[in-house]
Amino acid sequence: MSGEQIVVAQPATLAVRDVRRRERTARMTSLTLVLPAILLTLLFLYYPLVFIVRMSFTLADSFLSPAGPTFTLENYVVMTGRYLPNVLVTIKLAGLATLFDLVFGFPFAYILVRRVRYRDLVRGFMVFPMFGALYIAFGMRFILLPGGLATPLLKLLGAENAQVLYGLPSVVFAMSIFTFPFMVMNIGTALSNVDPTLEEAAACLGARPWQTIWRVLLPLTRAGIVAGSLMVFGWNIGAFAEPLLLGSIAEQRTLAWTLYQRGVVQTDYGLSTTMGVVLLSLAFTVTYFSLRYSRGALVE
Amino acid sequence: MSRTLSRRRLGGLLSHAYVWFCLLMFVLPFIALLNYSFTGPQGNYALENFKYVFGSFGSNLVWSFKISGLTLVLNLLVSLPAAYALVRYPFPGKRFLFSGLTLPLYVPGAVLGIALVLTYNFTYRLTTSMWGLVLAMTVGTFPLMLTPLVVALKDLPIVFEEAAQCLGATRWQAYWRVVFPLIGPGISAGLLLSFIIVFNEYLVTLFVHPTFITTAPLRVFGLVRTAGLLPTTAALAVTMQLISFVAVIAFFRIFGTRYLKGTYLI
Repeated sequence: MSGEQIVVAQPATLAVRDVRRRERTARMTSLTLVLPAILLTLLFLYYPLVFIVRMSFTLADSFLSPAGPTFTLENYVVMTGRYLPNVLVTIKLAGLATLFDLVFGFPFAYILVRRVRYRDLVRGFMVFPMFGALYIAFGMRFILLPGGLATPLLKLLGAENAQVLYGLPSVVFAMSIFTFPFMVMNIGTALSNVDPTLEEAAACLGARPWQTIWRVLLPLTRAGIVAGSLMVFGWNIGAFAEPLLLGSIAEQRTLAWTLYQRGVVQTDYGLSTTMGVVLLSLAFTVTYFSLRYSRGALVE
Repeated sequence: MSRTLSRRRLGGLLSHAYVWFCLLMFVLPFIALLNYSFTGPQGNYALENFKYVFGSFGSNLVWSFKISGLTLVLNLLVSLPAAYALVRYPFPGKRFLFSGLTLPLYVPGAVLGIALVLTYNFTYRLTTSMWGLVLAMTVGTFPLMLTPLVVALKDLPIVFEEAAQCLGATRWQAYWRVVFPLIGPGISAGLLLSFIIVFNEYLVTLFVHPTFITTAPLRVFGLVRTAGLLPTTAALAVTMQLISFVAVIAFFRIFGTRYLKGTYLI
């Protein structure tokens, strides 16, 4: 009787133990495999970010002084006072570029998904902006310079004396071109999941084209629109070359450029890192919402 | 009947015109640079600027290729095992870990730059080493490598590995001789994405570059800021864009666009 019990129990516990051991080895193996990636991000992303958060609470370059850093909230006070316009102009430029991309990107994505057969050609053209904002800003400078490619067009519009090069519109335009593909990509993905028969059904039921767009297409592609807008906003918030090369003093106050000036040129590390922290929290807020909206749970 | 038809045709024509207009806008900055790069000293047509690119800017191009190459190797070494573990093994908090690893993509370049240059100065003592720059590029771009790899591995049924192991292959053999070749397109997608970003990166480089290294995009940036507008600078920018463009087109031709889905290219 008891012998029988042992015979039954023994293999069962063995199997459980075996499974557990195998699970433990699997966990160890997987951890070893991910370890380089984790170490890299910890050492070269998370630690530096924590470092600048800590540094943003120290006064100017006191971090270097032999007496040790002077901890203060002064930087954040200055940020909300004297440097508030910088934060606002950064948000304003990124917001305008996002709006521009949305207005021009939605029809583009729609035509691309529904009408265009030469999509590979379009893809070929669309990679050019992605090589970087630097080349776009540099090229735009040539176009907008007096005597550049845009001069005949401006003459045609009767605006030959308008100040186009160093101003807000040219900065926003360059930023929009840089991020246009991101918007088109997001909206296009959402649109290609919408069945074309829905539009036909709406038309059959007597909806005008704008009603179809407003009440069928826009609600169905909302996730793509939100994800695209957030992505574009997030990229443009760190704009560096466009405001610098195309903007006037007002646009050159964007956080990324001021941060460089303060930190690397004037070695005011405290204030510079504070700007970094503000920029980072803006970017992370945007990222948080964009990840919530994009349903791309890739690894599960 | 004919009126609605012609209206429809007009609509189609207008939409194609709109697409072409947008496409023109995308390449316009490049066209402008290309146009300017052929301007000679007397305003005439000249090829001399491109001789300059491979002469005086040659070392910058070499640095760009060197940094990109080293970064790609590091990216691959870090991402391959990580992607494999993320897809094939059960993991506590897998989604959280993946988000944590891809977060570098969302950090603005200027923030990453200032954070790294300060830690290089005060903690790591990496300011005078090429590896500081390479590691900065790696941490910023390895998520671009990781994502296509994860996609490719998820697409690959596990039966291939199991079959290989049933036929007597060890884990390593199954990995190197079965999995690795089968996820080739995913690997090259990752290589392409990180190459394009690293090759054209100027912002993080501006912060962390050691004084003896000036990559080509950084040279463009510096010259535009200090020397004004020169045809030679335009020629360098054009060369950089053409190299990137050739890489992209070659990839499209060989592998198609499937593996670039969900990444920043298409």
